[in-house]
Amino acid sequence: MSSLDAATDAELVRRCREGDAEAWNALVERFSRYVYAICVKGFRLRDEDAEDVFQDVFTRVYTHLDKLRDDAAVRPWIAQLTRRLCLDSIARGSREQPAPEQDFEETGDDFAEIEEAFAVREAVTTLGEACQEILDRFFAQDQSYRTISAELDLPAGTIASRIARCLRKLREELEGRSEPSGESRE
Amino acid sequence: MVARCSKEWEEAGGIAAQALALQARAAPLAHADAEAWEDALSALRRAGAGGSDDGGARRDHALERKLERAAVVPLEIAALGADAAALAAVAGERCDAAYRADAAAAAALAAGGARAAAHLVEVNLGVREGDERLAQARASEQAAADAADRLLTSIR
Repeated sequence: MSSLDAATDAELVRRCREGDAEAWNALVERFSRYVYAICVKGFRLRDEDAEDVFQDVFTRVYTHLDKLRDDAAVRPWIAQLTRRLCLDSIARGSREQPAPEQDFEETGDDFAEIEEAFAVREAVTTLGEACQEILDRFFAQDQSYRTISAELDLPAGTIASRIARCLRKLREELEGRSEPSGESRE
Repeated sequence: MVARCSKEWEEAGGIAAQALALQARAAPLAHADAEAWEDALSALRRAGAGGSDDGGARRDHALERKLERAAVVPLEIAALGADAAALAAVAGERCDAAYRADAAAAAALAAGGARAAAHLVEVNLGVREGDERLAQARASEQAAADAADRLLTSIR
């Protein structure tokens, strides 16, 4: 885990402006899935078009970062930039090959889902490593309790409860009412 | 449902979320199971109709792969059944007492599903005694049954 993984968005932007190459890599890493999700899930771009938009977004972020007024607002800025470039891509595609009307629609639900998914993902990174690990295994890798139990060397009968405790912490984090407390195993 | 209705239980939301995740995994598996079985059956028929020509080895190989797939899916379903039963058992132990019987019913159903899926692995023509997949299926079946029994015993 890089020291930049824990940096705030604003801190990352500040270091990018100072020409820190490592910070650039971290910024691309942090937002790459976000940008890609907007392209593919939000605008249903084909993979090759999504890749073009992806390149374009980060090229523009690189060249226009100085224009960003509030460093902490880099995420909405990137989102807006991505949406605009997705629309440009669709418009270009429609000139070459007219597409059905629904291809041009931005679906609010999809964007809300994307935003929510990334908010959850960010909140997960604030949990302890044990929680991150167990949540990732169960929800992202679809591992069974038995597999998790064997691989993490935890009693099988405790996995569901551990996951539930981690989810409670996650909810508290998301609701902004997480209070500092004694460190538990998770 | 049991977790969502247990208002006093702090971790109920986390249990409900896991139940939804298991539910989301189950639907595609059920579909895949039917598909894999159809494929294996068709391959078996083709193999039965074929002679010992050059295509025989290819057909045998294709049949082997289809049978393998037909065993993998119920194996996953058995594991899912074990997880569902374990989750229902946790819910039954901690939920509002009014819903304990519902949790026990869920655990029993999940154990039944695991048992049925383990049976499908057992009767698969590509699975022999001593096969690791069979051992896994039986372990899932047993884990699910244990979880359901534990809960049922505790509320009787």
